[in-house]
Amino acid sequence: MILEVKNIRKSFGDKEVLHGVSFQVESGKALGLLGRNGAGKTTTIRILMDVFHANSGEILLDGRQFQPRKHQIGYLPEERGLYPKRTVIDQMVYLATLRGMKPGEARVSAKKWLERLEVAEYETKKLETLSKGNQQKVQLAATLVNNPDMVILDEPFSGLDPVNSQILKDVVNELINDKRLVIFSSHQMSYVEEFCDNIAIINQGQVVLDGQLKDIKKEYSRNRLMLAAENHTLEELARKVEGEWQGLARVSGRKKEFLVLELSEGADKRAFLERLAKSDVDVEKFGRYEPSLNDIFVAKVGEEE
Amino acid sequence: MRKFVIVLKYELKEYFSNKAFMGLTVLLALLGVGMLFLPRFVDMSGFTGVKIVGGEDSSEKETPEGEKPLFLYADHAGVVQEDVLAQLFPDAVWQKAEPDAVKASVEAQEAEAGFVVTGKTEYEYYVFNKPMHDNNMLLFQEAMRQFYRMDYCRQNGWNLEEVAAMYDVPITVEEEVLNKDSGSNYWYCYVLIIIVFMLIVYYGQMIAVSVTSEKSNRAIEVLVTSTSPNSLLFGKVIAGAVAGVFQMGVLLGALLIAYQMNREQWGGMLDMFLHIPGSVVAAFAFFGLGGYLFYGFLYGAMGALVSKTEDISKSASGLMVVVMVVYFFSLVQLNDIDGVAIKVLSFLPVSSYSTMFARIGMGTVAAWEVAVSFLILVLSTIGAGVLGAKLYRMGTLRYGNPIKLTNALKDLKQSE
Repeated sequence: MILEVKNIRKSFGDKEVLHGVSFQVESGKALGLLGRNGAGKTTTIRILMDVFHANSGEILLDGRQFQPRKHQIGYLPEERGLYPKRTVIDQMVYLATLRGMKPGEARVSAKKWLERLEVAEYETKKLETLSKGNQQKVQLAATLVNNPDMVILDEPFSGLDPVNSQILKDVVNELINDKRLVIFSSHQMSYVEEFCDNIAIINQGQVVLDGQLKDIKKEYSRNRLMLAAENHTLEELARKVEGEWQGLARVSGRKKEFLVLELSEGADKRAFLERLAKSDVDVEKFGRYEPSLNDIFVAKVGEEE
Repeated sequence: MRKFVIVLKYELKEYFSNKAFMGLTVLLALLGVGMLFLPRFVDMSGFTGVKIVGGEDSSEKETPEGEKPLFLYADHAGVVQEDVLAQLFPDAVWQKAEPDAVKASVEAQEAEAGFVVTGKTEYEYYVFNKPMHDNNMLLFQEAMRQFYRMDYCRQNGWNLEEVAAMYDVPITVEEEVLNKDSGSNYWYCYVLIIIVFMLIVYYGQMIAVSVTSEKSNRAIEVLVTSTSPNSLLFGKVIAGAVAGVFQMGVLLGALLIAYQMNREQWGGMLDMFLHIPGSVVAAFAFFGLGGYLFYGFLYGAMGALVSKTEDISKSASGLMVVVMVVYFFSLVQLNDIDGVAIKVLSFLPVSSYSTMFARIGMGTVAAWEVAVSFLILVLSTIGAGVLGAKLYRMGTLRYGNPIKLTNALKDLKQSE
């Protein structure tokens, strides 16, 4: 399956909040939908789920108009909530049958997912009696109860402790390996890096960066080096780069243990390395710098601001 | 349709597994049944006019002689007959006294009341503390009239029994109501209007609360992405209707059965409430249910316009005013059942649920009028359902301040 979101525009009243959002995702791969608060991620997801109608643009699944109710979709909304006064199993079976499962099948599937997410013991308890983390896991189980082909998770890790996060990570990995189409929205970049082959960064209602994560990282690592020394502090090294080595590179960032340098135009790694070898610097760390997704996000969104 | 049934079943389970709902239903039914069985165990002959078989009738129980209060009288006119007084005041002991002694004895609380007859049509009444419901004066006036009649007949040589028989000649009548008896149908129409009003207000609020709760506990987004808003709203409202019909059915059924079992003990005095013709029951069922569903959908939509259950009263206040006005107007119009106002109201979907069945019960109404009114109600109910579902869908993810109905309708128009 290939899901294509093409040039989606959405206005609330006179204010346009999405200005032509486009991206693409396919089965067996996960797309990380990233953006600051209020960037338009949830609105995009709600349009995908037909909660909101777009003013223009189209969503295609395998080239045909996408109609969410005709497909098995597991949707975990940002605004979580189920029925607090009903039992866990009752509401899971209810949601599964609403999405087209037969009651018997739904019960078996609900038990399976509760077991998988390690909350089977709460099956007959009212939701309100569970801890927040366990309620979150029940919500995820309810998302997956109909064994969806497409899974849309809006901030799935919020409210989970590290142990529960690991369970969820394993489940998401299983979904991806099982060739499901996964769209994943999160502020926690480490999770996105872990699961997603593709990303789309939305800022102020438009996609400012999208594509394969490895290509984006490669692009952002071009002409970037990392450098640390045994006999110089990072400040001393930075002064050296900006002074003695001016014209070869400039300091583009500072991490806890090394400097991030960007080669100047016309300069190459070999020339920089020769200069470094001739200097008094006792190299501790040197190599190509590969930015984290967080760095890319901050750099891109900051640039756009 | 399948999803509607799933929602309906889920919502019904909510009602029927609710201990408060089931407890209240059973409690009300038991209370009603218990009251209707009362005349079998408690002497209510003073109220019902029927004595318990083999029981003791308190109305005829005589006060022991020593406990009877003392009443004094003085007779200047020479007309008082003690046997008449004894008949009218069976629980009092009468003694003749001097006029001054009458007042003094009452003042000293030796006698409970005192009467001084100063002429054939005049008397004075003395009482120490006058109770709130004192009918001694009324009874003594009746006694005075009898003294006067007896005196007049004696003076003119008439026979009092013959004159009395001539005045109280019994008249026999055989009545046959060929169509409707508005007088006797009035009370059950009145009661049924109150019942349907209570159903609409009580269950309407419950439906609105149910919708708003799904917004406040944030389950709504999962629901609207799992099925259509039509299935959700129709399922909810119709589940409320089924629950209401069940509760009312249990209650009315228990009352009707218990009354049939105890009708004799009640002397038929509750016939006006509980002996309802089938045609009126059928009209009540169809129009009442239609009206209930009509308002149920609108209450559901009002629930979707707010995010907190405490705000429902704000969003549903306009609807409540309409329901109240229709309720009072319907009750007032029962006194002019064939008037123009009630005829018009019986065709409007906001009011036909009570006015048309009242017309069927008490007035003159043609079959085509019933059919047209019901058709309008059905179409309006479907319209209210569709509009309600749209408002429900639109209000789904709008949190914060309550949305005004006018703004909601404007937004709906724009989005379409």
